[in-house]
Amino acid sequence: MNTFELLGAGLLTAFQWGNLLYALIGVTLGTAVGVLPGIGPALTVALLLPVTYRLDPAGSLIMFAGIYYGGMYGGSTTSILLNTPGESASIVTALEGNKMARKGRGGPALATAAIGSFIAGLVATLGLAFIAPSVVKFALSFGPSEYFALMLLAFMTVSAAFGESTLRGLTALFIGLALGLIGIDQLTGQTRLAMNTPNLFDGISVTTLAVALFAIGETIAVVASRTAMDDRIQAVKGSVWMSREDWARSWKSWLRGTAIGFPIGAMPAGGADVASFLSYSAEKQFSKHPEEFGQGAIEGVAGPEAANNASAAGTLVPLLTLGLPTTATAAIMLAGFQQFGLQPGPLLFVTNAPLVWGLIASLLVANLMLLVLNLPLIGLWVRLLMIPRPWLYAGILIFATLGTIGASASTFVVFGIPTSFELGLLLLFGLLGYLLRRFGYPIAPVVVGLILGPMAERSLRQALQIGQGDPTVLVDSWISVTLIGLAIAAVVVPMILRARGKGKMLAAMAGDED
Amino acid sequence: MRHYLLAALAAGSLLLAAPAFAADYTIMAPAAPGGGWDQTARTMQAALQDEGISSNVQVINVPGAGGTIGLAQFVNQSSGNPEALIVGGYVMVGAILTNASPVTLDQVTPIARLTGEYEAIVVPAGSDIQDMAGLVAKLKEDPGAVSWGGGSAGGTDHITAGLVAKAAGVDPTKVNYIAFSGGGEALAAILGNQVTVGISGYGEFAEQVKAGTLRVIGISSDEPVEGIDAPTFKDAGIDVSIQNWRMVAAAPDISAEQKAAITADIEKMVKSESWQKAVADKGWADTYLAGDAFDAQLKKDTAATAGILKEIGLVK
Amino acid sequence: MSLEAEQPVARRPDRAALLIALVLAVVGLAIGWSTLQAGGVAAYTPVGPKTVPFIVAACLIGLALWTAVEAWRGNFPEREEQQTAPILWVVGGLIVQMLTIKTIGFSLATGLLFAATAFAFNERRLWLTLPFGIVFSFAVWFIFARGLQLSLPAGWLERLV
Repeated sequence: MNTFELLGAGLLTAFQWGNLLYALIGVTLGTAVGVLPGIGPALTVALLLPVTYRLDPAGSLIMFAGIYYGGMYGGSTTSILLNTPGESASIVTALEGNKMARKGRGGPALATAAIGSFIAGLVATLGLAFIAPSVVKFALSFGPSEYFALMLLAFMTVSAAFGESTLRGLTALFIGLALGLIGIDQLTGQTRLAMNTPNLFDGISVTTLAVALFAIGETIAVVASRTAMDDRIQAVKGSVWMSREDWARSWKSWLRGTAIGFPIGAMPAGGADVASFLSYSAEKQFSKHPEEFGQGAIEGVAGPEAANNASAAGTLVPLLTLGLPTTATAAIMLAGFQQFGLQPGPLLFVTNAPLVWGLIASLLVANLMLLVLNLPLIGLWVRLLMIPRPWLYAGILIFATLGTIGASASTFVVFGIPTSFELGLLLLFGLLGYLLRRFGYPIAPVVVGLILGPMAERSLRQALQIGQGDPTVLVDSWISVTLIGLAIAAVVVPMILRARGKGKMLAAMAGDED
Repeated sequence: MRHYLLAALAAGSLLLAAPAFAADYTIMAPAAPGGGWDQTARTMQAALQDEGISSNVQVINVPGAGGTIGLAQFVNQSSGNPEALIVGGYVMVGAILTNASPVTLDQVTPIARLTGEYEAIVVPAGSDIQDMAGLVAKLKEDPGAVSWGGGSAGGTDHITAGLVAKAAGVDPTKVNYIAFSGGGEALAAILGNQVTVGISGYGEFAEQVKAGTLRVIGISSDEPVEGIDAPTFKDAGIDVSIQNWRMVAAAPDISAEQKAAITADIEKMVKSESWQKAVADKGWADTYLAGDAFDAQLKKDTAATAGILKEIGLVK
Repeated sequence: MSLEAEQPVARRPDRAALLIALVLAVVGLAIGWSTLQAGGVAAYTPVGPKTVPFIVAACLIGLALWTAVEAWRGNFPEREEQQTAPILWVVGGLIVQMLTIKTIGFSLATGLLFAATAFAFNERRLWLTLPFGIVFSFAVWFIFARGLQLSLPAGWLERLV
């Protein structure tokens, strides 16, 4: 059988009524758990995976695919509506999405996220089916020096998320970088800045930091502010549905997001968060309305959400073709595959063809179900904002602490009282999140620093170690050179443009002000 | 129609399947949900319950610092509790030393080794290194020119690389070991020809070896392993054997009878069909070892590990 | 992005922002000092485990100086007035939950957090929010701990089922 026949057979199985129902249940469960603030996709998949164990192989595979896509997607809803991302990849979504929601445009924001996720999922899953081998070859050509160049590019473009002040953006970034230093240095096994506290040896968990800065910090900031307390959120202003202009502004972003997300997700050290950061800065570059960024630009939701989902499918490329789990979620997925007797590796497509195509068909169906489930629900989700504030925020804190304590049951004794260390960190960083907001510091760069800092340092040192200290290894491939060139251009080009167009820009801004 | 019912039941039964009995065993997995130790603990949970050995088994996750945070909590809180178990492994032996952990494996009651995996050294198919002798020759020429890709510094892969170098007569501090996060990233670096050799658990490489993209040049077992076309390190003249095992231990200060009872339960579990099937599905090797033989093995591993970690310079 | 619009009023040094500069400087110095204290490991590369911490420390100190200058000129954005009592209720709720969760269990401790947070948001009917919070947390505990095997601390209430 050729590829199309195999995929066709897989789709036929997946489209049986019973299997469609399993897909729906999987997507519903994945979305329902993933949507809770503070519970990211890795925990969602780990929690729900055992649910599939009791079904027949085809059904369980399909439900599993549904849980994966549902969990990946679920987080964006609360990021947009409540500014409480549960994981690092939906932080960027919260930047613009929440601004939109505050203007009563939560509906279009959710819609562009859902449709963008669907399109990205569709394109990327087809990519997984047809071009996985060549994508993998490209991804493998990334060694430590290429990753370092990629990280440089990410750092240079991350200023897109800085907001209005370079000083405060840089400060936030360096707070994140400093936090990223804490823990055991992976290359030498030395502990750094851990203050002799074993609980800090593994470093600060990105999830804890993100949940604290956003969910807890946001709650405190809202409760502390007189105006925010009085100001009634308008759940819906205008249509819940996307306008013609929204469509026109979204579709290119979806495709760009997919093009960025899929290959980066496929890289062994990539990941959805890096993809969403890069997509956000790309959208800001390409947008015809760059001045809207930070105020609720729809491109800033459409692009990163598409990138996020495309990279979720991209992650499956190395997972299936090499057996390489590249994210925490993927590692849990690998455990899931093994229970179906699927041993991911280079021979998987040869030895296990029907199962693999069954999985790919399941992913396509799950992706469709996600759209079917979520589009009609948008109206309902938006109503989340109508829950009276006391109940809404109290509920958010329940789930924020649940996700944190559930991932780590470690007990930390303070003055003879057994407590949870992670909850302590959550509180500490929650206060940090509040103070940052209070003094006009952007939040996202802190998390960006915590994620990219250690990755950049590690790749730099690995590259130098492989080259036995020779710094030219950093520029000895065309990929590194290109990426470094792009990174330099990202800094230099806007400077030139600014110098040339200063008069025009100022005039335009003056025009905007009145 | 049956599908619908089944699906509803499957989803519903999980929410309602709370047996009214008190918890029998509580297994601590000193790792995050989804990791190797967590999977071991949850597989035990399923096997113990399915076989009716224990009616209700709970798993709790206490991740951090190579399992030493969980271990410390276990020692402090479970003392004398015959229902408390902890999953652990060889990685913990190294982590206790490198993290200067206040508690050690001497403070728990080891019950049995459950599964194990051997370390393999691999090269890309196009490499000019053909066998262990070729690797040793290169190491002797210029140890720095041979880059080893494996998991985190101080982990099993790093320890094995150090032991191999030492046994080959090369200064272990000169080993150019590149630590990647987890076996997966190391595998990518080997396949991408970024490093000279790769070292990790054989399972990480098995599919690549089958496909012919990687070549195994040595394996860390005592005896040649069926299905792995490579000599042991010992047969290649390098006196190193190491197994990355996972074990289960009970609480400190339990009585001899309690220990015997737990050992019996675990033995019954290991022999059970559901455990054997799960182990086979996950591609683990059953290297069950209990009693004095396991205690002796544990002592030997601890001593060898402490020695090599000092020589590499990770432990003072 | 308004450059000149808000300037005309002569601003005084912003004390809180000066404090931020001080904290940044202290953190930078602490990172530098603690990195100096750490032992060394032989490695093949000029960039060792200490290089990046030193760079980060230096940059933090530089940012501290920059912040101090901006604070001195009063260039920080205007801050709106804050109410402290509600913050204390939320933070207090989190602290109480943290200190009691291992002892009295997830439902009761989280129920307290729920009621404290609701109180901070002007929902003063504790007789309503406290029982609701406990029942809701218990339901959450049941679904996640029993249904999905997430390890959440159990107290006497949880042991009833």
